[in-house]
Order: sequence, then C-alpha cells, then structure tokens
Amino acid sequence: MPDSTINRAAQKDALFPLQRLQAYAQGLPVDRLPCVPIVGNTAARVLGVTVSSLRNNGKILADAQIASYRRFGYDNIRVFTDLYTIAEGMGAQIRVPEDETAFLAEPAIQNVSGISGLRPVDPCRDGVLPEQIEAVKRVVQEVGNEVPVTAALTCPFTNASFLIGAVNLSRLVLKDPASVHHLCKLSLESALAYAEAIFNAGGTPSLTDAMSSSSVISPKQFEEFSYPYLKTLVDYIHSKSRSATLHICGKTSPIWDKMADTGADCISIDNDANLLDAKKKIGHRVRLMGNVHPSAIMLQGTPQDIRREVCKCVIAAHDNPKGFVVASGCSLPTETPFENIDAMLDAVREIGYPVSVGLLEEIVNNS
Amino acid sequence: MSDNKEQTFFTALSDAVLDMDEVKVEEIAHRVIKEKIDAYRAIENGLVDGMNRAGQLFEDEEYFIPEILLCSDAMYAGLNILNPYINREQQRTRKKVVIGVVEGDTHDIGKNLVKTLLDAAGFEVVDLGRDVPPAQIVNAAIAEHADVIALSTLMTTTMDGMASVIKILQESGHRDAVKVIVGGGPISQSFADRIGADGYAPSAPAAVKLLHKLFKDSIYA
Repeated sequence: MPDSTINRAAQKDALFPLQRLQAYAQGLPVDRLPCVPIVGNTAARVLGVTVSSLRNNGKILADAQIASYRRFGYDNIRVFTDLYTIAEGMGAQIRVPEDETAFLAEPAIQNVSGISGLRPVDPCRDGVLPEQIEAVKRVVQEVGNEVPVTAALTCPFTNASFLIGAVNLSRLVLKDPASVHHLCKLSLESALAYAEAIFNAGGTPSLTDAMSSSSVISPKQFEEFSYPYLKTLVDYIHSKSRSATLHICGKTSPIWDKMADTGADCISIDNDANLLDAKKKIGHRVRLMGNVHPSAIMLQGTPQDIRREVCKCVIAAHDNPKGFVVASGCSLPTETPFENIDAMLDAVREIGYPVSVGLLEEIVNNS
Repeated sequence: MSDNKEQTFFTALSDAVLDMDEVKVEEIAHRVIKEKIDAYRAIENGLVDGMNRAGQLFEDEEYFIPEILLCSDAMYAGLNILNPYINREQQRTRKKVVIGVVEGDTHDIGKNLVKTLLDAAGFEVVDLGRDVPPAQIVNAAIAEHADVIALSTLMTTTMDGMASVIKILQESGHRDAVKVIVGGGPISQSFADRIGADGYAPSAPAAVKLLHKLFKDSIYA
C-alpha cells in the first residue's frame, strides 16, 4: 500500500477501501461500513484550484480527486465534473463559469430534423472526454491499488435530453417515441464507447441517469425509454467482470424493481426515496447506497446534523441483505464544508461494525 | 343557449385538455366562438378546469412531466383562440407573478411547470426565462408591479442567487411590496427560512397552494 504523509485514510481507518469492500462483500469482519460522500467539484476546493480548471485537464482533475480521497478517506473515487461531457462531445453547448459547475447552455439540436446530423462520440478526441479519461488513468496509477476508481457515465435518456432539450424530449416521449429511441440509441453508442475508454484507463463506469427519475417520467415511460439502454450498459460492465452502480435522482420508488432488473449490483438513491422501503422491496437483490441530503444537510447542516442523519440511514439500511453504503443522496454541492464531509466519515467510524442499533437510536433521540 | 348545452362545451374543452388533444381543443374553441358562448366562462370552466384536473393527476403520480406539458400545450392553444373574445368587464386585475430560473441554471422544466399551473390557477404570470441575474429579476418585478417573485433552481450552485434577490429587494426598499417564493430540487423549507423567503414549495402543485395560502385564496389584486 502506498505511503503518504497526508493519507488521513490510513491514519483513521484500519483498512483501505478495497480491503474493506472485499471483506464486507464476503461477510468477513470490517472496521466500519463503506462510506461515500459523493464528492465532485468539491475536490477543486481540496486542491485549491478553480472548478473550471478540472474539467479539461486530466492532471489537475486527477490531483484534485486524489487529494480529496486522501483528505477524507472515503471508499470510492468518482471522476466527475458535470453531466454534460458526452452531450458536449456530440455538439451541445456547455457554459463553463470560472469557479462553478459547468451547465448546459444550448442543446445540440433544436428539433428532430437535426437528429440525422448527430454522431456518437469518439472519447479519444471529442470535447473534454480525452482529459477525463486521462484523469481516470492517473488516479488508477496513483491509488488504484487501494480504492475503487470510477468515472461518472451519463446514461442515454438523460444524455438525449441534453441533445434536444429536456422540454422537447418530454414532448417527444408522447408525440414521437421513435425519435426518442433514435436519440437514446445514439447516446448509447456514445456511452458504450466512453465506457470502453474508462475500462481501458483502468476504471469502472458509474451510471447516472437524472432524467429517468419518476419525478420526471412515468414508470411505463422509464420501462420503454430508459430501461433497455441501462440494461445494455450494465451487461457491458458485467462483461468486464466489474460491478455496476446505478444512480437515479429524485423519486424512484415506482421503478426500483426495474432498476434491479437492469442487473445493477448497487443502487444509489436520492432523498426523495426512503431507504427502509427500498430495503424491503429490493434489498435482497441489490446493495443500497444513500441518502443523506446533499444540500439541506451536507451543505447547510452542522456536523451534529450529519451525525444524526447518518445514524438514521444506518438504522434503516445497515442490515440490507445485499449490503449498504452510507452516502449522500446525490453529488455534493461544491461548497460543502470539509468538516461536514469529515463528520460523515467520523460518524461511520464511530458507529463501527457490526452495528448496534440501540446505540444509534440513542444518538438520534438525543440530538 | 341553454346552460346544459354550454356545459357540454365546457366539459368537452376540459376533457380535451386532460386528454392532451390540442387539435380537439382548437376545434371546440372555434365552435364556442361560433355559438357565441361566453369565452371567459369557456376558459374558466373548460380549459382551466382541464388543467386543474391534470395538475391533480400529476400530484397523484398518474401524470408525469410529458403529460403535463402536452396538457398545457392544449390549454394554451385554446387560450389563444378564446382570449380575444373576453369582455373588458370580465378582465379584473389579477395577482401578478414574476417567475424565473436563477442565473447559472438553465434547467427550466420545473419553472415551466409552475408557470403553467399558476396560469391555470388564474394568476397573471410574467416568465423571465432561465439563467436570469438577480438584479434583472428584481427590476422586472418592480417594473411589472408584481405581487410575487417565484424562483426556481435545480442546482445548489445557484441557491445564493435566490438570497441575492431578497437582499436587493431589501436594499432598494421593495421587500414589503412583493412576496418571494422558492422551490426546486436542492431547496428546503429551512433554506427558504434562512434567506427570508415568504414561502417554499416542494412541487409545482404545491406552489399554487402556497400562493392561495399567502393571498387567502384571492387571485385578484
């Protein structure tokens, strides 16, 4: 294992993440539950660089993610700056503020007549993808022997919304399903190419599909426009003998069964979803990950709030048959205070393993 | 014209909105004009009624964003035809809402949904669009003599922009003239309280209810 003077993970924890995750999966003793505050552009704050400097510079992006991992000692590195990297490679216009997360300025096309002009990405060439891949490579080289290294992969239905605009896509779902599938197929081709590049760099794609939420489309529409493409991506990840994590934002309870049917090994749920319900419904099929509120608690709360919320999550899901990862419900806001991220890890360390529910209930009741 | 026959037209309009049938709404709206049925009542008891029913289905999770968008397309198609035929006496001044997505965020599905449901609920809505700087939101509210500023964001990075709007209102002495309501994925009641907003709504239908509450059920100025 590598040695580093700033390796707080090694100082505070008995095991490295890979050792912990492996032992946990086999039902062997571990020092604590796995814990993943989903750090994205907060990594820029750890390294002391601007948010915009990460996106298109593999070295800085890697350095930031490594520094953040070492600073906090969580159990998964996820190379992520924003959801738009694939859509940008296909022609969407992305605005990149100096020190804030990039956002979609204009979709790639304005209407369905533009679809024929769209091409899947070449991850070695298009947009910022080559630098994002470079970051994965560097992170794997540096810490890949102690912690899983993943890279966020925007899934087809969500990417399609960036290609033609979310409002347009929503209308097409009912008015022109064939065009939606066309956009999703092009997005799938891009996603598979990017996934392959991530594998070649030594990482694993981490699936994220914001627009497939039941806050946006119906379970039936999910089944038609999201599910088949997610399934293909999960199958591809499995063909590389890696496990697949799937995150969908917002409400998801109506589609939990289908999310599990994709074959995903771990499902990451947002705050609009309930961990206890998820455990009862799909806990025998998938590992669960969640769901401390990223803004109301992680960004705006105190360390005490975070300790309490972590305890609540652990009470609800520590005995999930397929395992549980303490996590934020979604990516953390850039300005999440370091002490709040520390508080999440510290709470998980304090709770330890195996979990004593009585003790946790006491903490929740006393706070 | 008998009330019964009128009601048949209103019900047909309402149903066509609920069924997302834009063409049918236009067809019936033209017949409403031809039969000299009161346009104002056709809007209220037909189009708006249909949109309210759609809003209820959205709350009940039977309709989702695609359905609501097509219902609102149908409603607006009908409004375009019927609005020119409303009598002047019927046009009471309604409470005015200035709505926008804060600078730095271009996600406007949520905002569009709130706009549509507020329209349907009878508010006069001025849509500033997405990615709007706080000062511009305040200026528009002052210029329009708005009763409400409604702000939405999906991104935590733009939440500070909401606080800026309230701060600019305070500093310019306009805070008491307008109510500020906020909503969107990362927003919570505690955030709304902290920045001094008048209210928080977790969903588009909740935004309508919130304004009804703030104005004690009167949409008229």
